[in-house]
Amino acid sequence: MLLHAALSGLVFGFYFTLVGLGLNLVFGVMRIVNLAHGDFLMLGAYSAFWLFGLYHLHPLLSAACVLVVFTLVGLPLYYLVVPRLLAARDSEMLSLILFFGLQQMIEAVTSIAFGTTERSIPGRVLGSGPVRLLGQALPTSWVFSAGVSLAAVALVYVYLYQTRLGMLTRAVMVSREEAVATGIDLHRVCAIAFGLGLGLAGIAGVFAPFMLGSVTPAIGPEINIAAFAVIVVGTLGNPLGTVLGGIVYGVSLMLMQTYLSSWANLLPNLLLIAVLLVRPTGLLGRRVRRA
Amino acid sequence: MSRKAMLCLIAALACGPAAHAQQAAPAEIKIGHVHAASGAYASISMPVYDGLKLWIDQQNAGGGAMVKPFGKKIPLKLISYDDQSNPGTAATLINQLITQDKVDILVADSGSVLTAVAVPIAREHKMLLFNPTGTGAPFFTKDNPYIALLADPASTIWPKYLAGFLTTDGVKDGLKRLAILYATNDFTTTQANALRGFVKQSGAAIDIVYDQGVPTNTSNYGVLINNIAAAKPDAVVELGYVGNDIAFLRNLQDAGQKFKFLFALYPGVETDEVLKNVGAQAMDHVFTYVTSQAIEYKPNVGMTLDQFREAFEKSYKGQGVEFGFNAIAGYHSGLMIGQALADTDSLQQLDLRRALFAQSGKVTTLDGTFELDDTGAQIGEITPLGQIIADPKGAVRNVVVFPHELAAGKPLYE
Repeated sequence: MLLHAALSGLVFGFYFTLVGLGLNLVFGVMRIVNLAHGDFLMLGAYSAFWLFGLYHLHPLLSAACVLVVFTLVGLPLYYLVVPRLLAARDSEMLSLILFFGLQQMIEAVTSIAFGTTERSIPGRVLGSGPVRLLGQALPTSWVFSAGVSLAAVALVYVYLYQTRLGMLTRAVMVSREEAVATGIDLHRVCAIAFGLGLGLAGIAGVFAPFMLGSVTPAIGPEINIAAFAVIVVGTLGNPLGTVLGGIVYGVSLMLMQTYLSSWANLLPNLLLIAVLLVRPTGLLGRRVRRA
Repeated sequence: MSRKAMLCLIAALACGPAAHAQQAAPAEIKIGHVHAASGAYASISMPVYDGLKLWIDQQNAGGGAMVKPFGKKIPLKLISYDDQSNPGTAATLINQLITQDKVDILVADSGSVLTAVAVPIAREHKMLLFNPTGTGAPFFTKDNPYIALLADPASTIWPKYLAGFLTTDGVKDGLKRLAILYATNDFTTTQANALRGFVKQSGAAIDIVYDQGVPTNTSNYGVLINNIAAAKPDAVVELGYVGNDIAFLRNLQDAGQKFKFLFALYPGVETDEVLKNVGAQAMDHVFTYVTSQAIEYKPNVGMTLDQFREAFEKSYKGQGVEFGFNAIAGYHSGLMIGQALADTDSLQQLDLRRALFAQSGKVTTLDGTFELDDTGAQIGEITPLGQIIADPKGAVRNVVVFPHELAAGKPLYE
């Protein structure tokens, strides 16, 4: 049971890395909290559901479409709201309020458009039967989703560390003022990061029906809590820490389900409290973020 | 006083209250309700809301509902607020309905979680809570006359036939090791407790080898399924809300795990919704409750099942609300409100209660026989044990396998 829980937790954790990655990227670059992150994930799930229902589009192709569309949607959305936030004295607090409002709007509109019933995509689309890893049977759809998550994380790292735009993005993450002083087009860099953040949330949403069983317009806030736990454990503003945070979250959740199942929903809050008390900077701390 | 004057006085006194009543008839009967248009319980709440609204629309199309004390039909006005699946919001809105809107009839939201907050508030304000589907056992006590469960049996009754099967036929068929997995809310925790109690009372040779609760927001059952399998049960009973059951059945199929006897709650309650999400193959041979959506009762009040399904789908097509037991529950709740209004002596809450309880055992709707015990718990509508049978075209039917007098098929084990 322990090995199965740990292995499942690892796979689940890789998925939750992707869930938290976009949120962390946006916070790391802009220092704003996108409380609508979970709802963009939900929209990604509904997009995949819709594309599969109408065109039988494979989730992998849906993920590519969602990445492009959500990133493009993110650009005008950024220019509409974020520059004003960044100019404000307390942009973090204002972002909480603004994106909370956006989150409510997205949920309400999606409920009207799609109804409130559960939606999902058949699990067999990603392969039928279990996959055996270290003698343990895991659902193929989980392994597939975890693989996509790792690929998305790798792409983010290629973007951040192998491209010029990524280098500029890291410069903004280290010090916005210094980046502006050196002539970096702050809003261009931030807009692309914001769009990518939404795109990553969208990809995570495409695979949500496979990892969460089904989706409704109401899943956003709960996803946000899990995503916050992942990125705070890892280190707020540090995408590499998100991987570690995802693994810690996934393995802890599966161990809780195994040994203290009734209390499993307390896990995100317990992790948040524990990290904030013991190591407020997260497991990787500031040092890695600035490396 | 002359004899003529005396007769006039008596006539005036006799006619007075009636004339007064006619004058005092309200322009409308206000029905207060809360529903969840969003949030975790929207998928079980919206069908109830839509079913109730359908009944109200039908009544109003015919001039309103007959209200006995006024001797005429009076239009119904539905005041329904969205509690967003939040119990705190639901409590505030229930208070608002009673104190600000001053509704004549108070109808709770769907499900035990959102009903739980309404029970003490209704009692405090001495308002009869017309409770469509809040079945938690703690709601019903002999010292609280202000609640009546309308549309499905109390949670303590739900697993009666499931337990009856397991402790008789099941044991004979080798189902001796039982696993119970339940979501920790009033609805399913009460059922898990009742099931344990039935099994223990029976004295049957059943060993409960796994017994765990999980939070209601659990959406991932992979590890739990593995843990259950490690306990080597013959029979697995999973009790959750619709999202739980969808996740459980999908994870079970994805893991390639099978159990000799598998029971899940919602395949028989919201069959269409579960079917769309998990597919016929994953539902095939799953044991479940048989609710009124799979049984053709002969109603003496309201539409038949087929008529209602047609009307519901015509009214709400494309709105993302699936037809299922909860839609029936909403419509049935309306029917019982109508019966109470037609039989009450006044709009006083205890008169409404008396009128509603007077229907007990006399009314059959598409939801079955309406029967209340003295605590207001529903005991007439039953939940036989059924088994989902899938056909090659992807459709499913729920076949009653227990009790024997209702059985339409024999249980098939994996």
